[in-house]
Amino acid sequence: MKILTTRMEAHPSDSHTIERYVATDGYKAARKAILDMSPGECHEEVKASNIRGRGGAGFPCGVKWGFLPPDVRPRYLVINGDESEPGTFKDRQLLERDPHQVIEGIIISAYAIDCNQAFIYIRGEYPKPARRIEQALAEAYDAGYLGKNIFGSGFDLEVTLHLGGGAYICGEETALLNSLEGKRGEPRIKPPFPAVEGLYGKPTIVNNVETISNMPWIVTNGGAAYAAIGPEGSVGTRMFSLSGHVRKPGNYEIVMGMTFREFIEDYGGGVPGDRAVKCFIPGGASAPWFTGDQLDLPITIDDVGNAGSMLGSGAIVVMDETTNVVEAAHSIVSFFAHESCGQCTPCREGTSWLEMVLARILRGQGRPVDLELLLDVSDNIAPGLGWPPKMTTICPLGPSAVSPVTSILRHFRDEVEAMIPAGGPHG
Amino acid sequence: MWIDEKLVPPMTWTTSDRVERILSSYPDRKSAVMPLLYVAMAEYGYVTDEAIREVAGLVGMTSVQVSSVATFYTMYKREELGKYLLSVCTSISCSLLGGRDVLHAVEDETGVPAGETGPERDFSVEHVECIGACGGAPAVQVNYELIEGVGPDKARELVRWLRHAAPAVVRGDEMQTLFGGQRSFDWGPSEAAGATGPLPSLGSIGTMGESK
Amino acid sequence: MGDPVKVTIDGTEHEVDGGTLLIQAAQDAGTYIPRFCWHKRMKPVGMCRMCLVEVDTGRGPMLTTSCTTPCSDGMVVDTKSDIVTKAQEGILEFLLINHPLDCPVCDRGGECPLQDQTMAYGPGESRFVEEKRHYEKPIDISELVLLDRERCILCARCTRFSDEISGDPLIEFQDRGNGTQVLTFPDEPFKSYFSGNTVQICPVGALTARPYRFRARPWDLEAVEATCPHCSVGCRINVQSSQNQVLRFLGVDNEPTNQGWLCDKGRFGFEYIGSPDRLTTPLVRGEGGELEETTWAAALQVVAQWLQDVIAEDGPDSVAGLGGARGTNEDAYAFGKLLRAVIGTNNLDAQLEDGLNPQFLAAATPRASIPDLDAAQTILLWGPDLKEELPVLYLRVRQAAQNGANLIVIHPRRTGLHDVATATVAYAPGRGPEILDRLRSGTGDLAAARKLLMGGGPIVGLIGRPGLTEDPMLAEAVAAFVRDLPDAKIMPLARRSNLFGALDMGLAPSLLPGRAAIASPEARSALAVEWATPIPEATGRDAAGIIAGLADGTLRSLFLFGADPIRDFPDQAAARAALEAANLVVAVDQFLTDSSRLADVVFPAEGFTEVEGTVTNLEGRVQKVARLVAGPGQSRPPWAIFEDIAAAVGSSLGAVSAASIHKEIAQVAPAYRGLSWEQLELGPGREGVIVPGETGEQPLRYVPVDIGIAPRAARLALHSARTLYDDGVHVRFSRSLAQLTAEPFAFVNPEDGARLGIAAGSLVRVTGSSGAADLEVQHDPGLAAGAVYVPFNLEETVGIGDGLDVKLEVIS
Repeated sequence: MKILTTRMEAHPSDSHTIERYVATDGYKAARKAILDMSPGECHEEVKASNIRGRGGAGFPCGVKWGFLPPDVRPRYLVINGDESEPGTFKDRQLLERDPHQVIEGIIISAYAIDCNQAFIYIRGEYPKPARRIEQALAEAYDAGYLGKNIFGSGFDLEVTLHLGGGAYICGEETALLNSLEGKRGEPRIKPPFPAVEGLYGKPTIVNNVETISNMPWIVTNGGAAYAAIGPEGSVGTRMFSLSGHVRKPGNYEIVMGMTFREFIEDYGGGVPGDRAVKCFIPGGASAPWFTGDQLDLPITIDDVGNAGSMLGSGAIVVMDETTNVVEAAHSIVSFFAHESCGQCTPCREGTSWLEMVLARILRGQGRPVDLELLLDVSDNIAPGLGWPPKMTTICPLGPSAVSPVTSILRHFRDEVEAMIPAGGPHG
Repeated sequence: MWIDEKLVPPMTWTTSDRVERILSSYPDRKSAVMPLLYVAMAEYGYVTDEAIREVAGLVGMTSVQVSSVATFYTMYKREELGKYLLSVCTSISCSLLGGRDVLHAVEDETGVPAGETGPERDFSVEHVECIGACGGAPAVQVNYELIEGVGPDKARELVRWLRHAAPAVVRGDEMQTLFGGQRSFDWGPSEAAGATGPLPSLGSIGTMGESK
Repeated sequence: MGDPVKVTIDGTEHEVDGGTLLIQAAQDAGTYIPRFCWHKRMKPVGMCRMCLVEVDTGRGPMLTTSCTTPCSDGMVVDTKSDIVTKAQEGILEFLLINHPLDCPVCDRGGECPLQDQTMAYGPGESRFVEEKRHYEKPIDISELVLLDRERCILCARCTRFSDEISGDPLIEFQDRGNGTQVLTFPDEPFKSYFSGNTVQICPVGALTARPYRFRARPWDLEAVEATCPHCSVGCRINVQSSQNQVLRFLGVDNEPTNQGWLCDKGRFGFEYIGSPDRLTTPLVRGEGGELEETTWAAALQVVAQWLQDVIAEDGPDSVAGLGGARGTNEDAYAFGKLLRAVIGTNNLDAQLEDGLNPQFLAAATPRASIPDLDAAQTILLWGPDLKEELPVLYLRVRQAAQNGANLIVIHPRRTGLHDVATATVAYAPGRGPEILDRLRSGTGDLAAARKLLMGGGPIVGLIGRPGLTEDPMLAEAVAAFVRDLPDAKIMPLARRSNLFGALDMGLAPSLLPGRAAIASPEARSALAVEWATPIPEATGRDAAGIIAGLADGTLRSLFLFGADPIRDFPDQAAARAALEAANLVVAVDQFLTDSSRLADVVFPAEGFTEVEGTVTNLEGRVQKVARLVAGPGQSRPPWAIFEDIAAAVGSSLGAVSAASIHKEIAQVAPAYRGLSWEQLELGPGREGVIVPGETGEQPLRYVPVDIGIAPRAARLALHSARTLYDDGVHVRFSRSLAQLTAEPFAFVNPEDGARLGIAAGSLVRVTGSSGAADLEVQHDPGLAAGAVYVPFNLEETVGIGDGLDVKLEVIS
């Protein structure tokens, strides 16, 4: 069953054009929503769909829309296209190959939440997706699907494309709002949540590109139909980005419930050379790692959560038996150290400290005490080292940097120890 | 003596229609600081002190506030760049598939270490974090136009081609055909648009070029 | 704040106002939660993470920053759990991994929150063996402030202050993550009038002040509380000294006045106290025409003899007194008593150039206080540029506007408040009456302002003279208008130091001590009883009248008490002529100024930090100042000098100490009745007491009048106003500030510049009513059309005068 990728697979040569979009029932859902349904009815369908956010947090979308205070205007809708979680590239495909689907989802959502101004925030390193969206917006405006008095209904909607400047942290919704306001992309203290106090202090809904792309189908077929797809708690279809040591990396839209093993082998073609899976990351670089022991875990939000990790952004990275796990962990920790916004002490100082210690171990200058040091520094960022993490930080970036550290020390401690010279760094 | 009104001398780029459009597309003009930094960067080649002062005058912030925003992000470069900015991804998926080797190959072939610009201003080289091309690892961008599945040898060929063919507009489709391999997904039809400099190529900020 | 709620902190239940920040509630309840980035006067940001506690609101304990958590009912808080304690240790270890071990060479050592909290909550050792962050250190970010980025813990207190509080965001974070650093922009240094506050609130030694660097260790310092002597806001300060040298002023958090902040002129304006140019002995002009050192006895004898001759020949009315705004209330009272009771004249004026009706300044009703700004719905500011003249009041108005008050600013030039104002109107000086007419009728450019004022109260009018060329009665007319608005109060504005205290002590031609009018027979007879001597009946001459009288010979002698009319009186030539013509000029001063060096007898005075007493600010709030150091050489308190002069002519003021004078004031001056020093030192009186208070009364309740001034149009109208750093005596002799004295420029609007062919950078001769000056031109788009702005009281500009019309000729 596919929802999001049907058009681009059936019509690869022009799925991004308005001509193809309209010819394949495009903008009919928006028309149905605006002309035949009330905003409340649209909201009810989304609630009934039980769709959970596809950006990484997995919060039920309809419930989030319900947090908007009834009497405060204006409201804003912001689409989060800042996809930067290592391993993730699904929103890129949706933006590039079916931009009108995103736009129609925006129209429906804005109508449902009584909002007349939306922003699409696309990371700066995605100029091609941004060009596709820019072109699609122009086409939609020309055709009257955006702007004033859409379908003659009196509903107005302006959509502004905003290009990021290169900062992973802007994918965090409040950091994104700060970035949109012209400030540094630093996360805000929550509460208040964006639905209550968001862009320019006004009620704002931030939704992921993939989440919003589902709205036309939900309006067309009804929320109950969406909720009937897949296992409870992980309904609908979902795009997973598969990468690393697999024969066929790529984006795969699946119904959840199959095991990781099935996914990796049936969709990903298995590991090149049929080597064993040493470990894999189930949900983007922030997620704690799984080993071969979890290959038979079903791919659902709750199964993965109960096993101590998260499905997050839906990015699965496979590492085979040739992988130097310390290097891999250092690569991820290094990522978070670079991307730390710098506001709060434990993340700003701690992620760099973790990176420096791992780098030193990789250089052959590790000390036996460094293992406990890594864990204790990690504990000072994410007390208890659990997942979901307790945080001493403002946002989960700090604890995300801890994931690879705890993962290698839990599952591959002997490999780390092997990199440490017996007599300490000086022999 | 405290004069808190900034005198911005009339410059063509700050009074253009494009700038007006950008300013009016946000409820608060401070939001325009990011796209205006790109427009200024296109004007000067990189984000100069003057560019920051001018953007500050347009959005109603102080220079140090605009600089604070500009330096927070990686893509607003505060130093002059080479004609081609080569960004090599070294995040986890690319790193598992040899991204570091690609970086070393690029450094070696260009003669420019990562984080620097060559003395002839032909190339700037940097390692970058995940650019969303993990399905086509290892991945490289030239002026933010993507090539997927670029191994070390192909990366060297890419550099040599840039040096000798010296295209005015850098197009992802063209480079992918010449030097790319595994893609994250089917790219669909090729496009004429490409980059004219070390900036993301987008119509609304005036950085888009086209070629066949 | 909301309704009371119950929160449990470490097992003990407390009742607090709902919405109070948990960190504040805990502190009030006696539980200190460590912190760096939180400052009670700024919005909390939860960045340093040091204030983490476990909070349970019903769903289990959650680790959260107490500075960003408002108290809610039933909240259970643990500030000492194992998780919290470990987190505190962890945060400190994180802060210390890059923080350099600079304590032995760092100004902050001994009064350092990072040191203190590390001792109390931190690990004993750091486990960091990698390379620390390095920066060039320190760097100058302005003439007054240095930045050491290695020490910086990135709490953002300094950047938040500059953005949120002072509106001068000239420092900001650059880069991100571990490479984040505070910095200025190239060629745009941290030239804020409030930069010193960032040094005070920096929790480490990252920001240091040049005037204090390496001067002392906190354990060497002695301290007293006092009130800043520079302007009439009366900020509360902590004065610190070592070995009889004043080394530092710090801001004290006095809720109704400065809330902890100081302007840099106040903060660093202490160096003059220890200046080698301070007068140390009495001086008398000798035969050769030079001032020569002499003894007290000799100098007093000269004064006594001369005074007796003058009074015998020309009568007491030929004597005048100028000044008194730079001393304490006790000094001013003694000065007034000397002139009125001993000599017998009403020719005294503490104002030099402000020219406002002293009854308006001292006794206008209903009078606003500074806290009234916090509650105001609409604030009308028509007066001086607060940022230049009353900087900490500017901060308070700015805060009120940012918190939602409507702010209307009417001024010839763009001010520091324009960016937070709701309505602004610029006008060329002289045209003020037209503006007031349109404000009354709510027409044209004043329609929006009028609408705001009619939108309901409370309304506060901050009213004064925007510049020296404005008719001073215009301010009163504006006050008359505002006063009639519903729920409105007015705050008359004048800048100098203890002017309001001096006026309350009767240093004005129409006032008697305690806000009584000379014109009132009851007031005169009551004072006559207290002073056991008749009080002269006729209203005396004001400063302009005194200068004119001295010049034309109708007045013969002049007492100058901390006054420099040659620099401060708008007609410099007239002031000089007056001093030169006078028969006897006696100066009581701290320095030889342009005026006191023309005196016949000069007495060296002790001044601020060397005297004990009270001062009164522009709210009428009386605060106590304390003595910390002794004045140089033979300098003595002014009141004692006046007592000695009285004694030398066979009389007495009855003063034996500043305390005894104060007791007399509390008995004699109606508005000050019942006020005691003890009241001002302990309990709620430490915030200052607004007189008349409960025990005093104010016989004169002055209702501002609108005399109907005609507008004046000039081809080019001179806007002559103050800039904060000028060539005043205290700035001149404080070397850290003297280097900041403004450059003399003449400003014109760019359109006027184009129209008149006056390019920026050209040299023009500015000719005013009293003289001319050659100045470089700058273009100022924020200046009203038809106006020329020249800052007053710079050496080069002080001679131009206060006439409205001014001529500009391009010289080159």
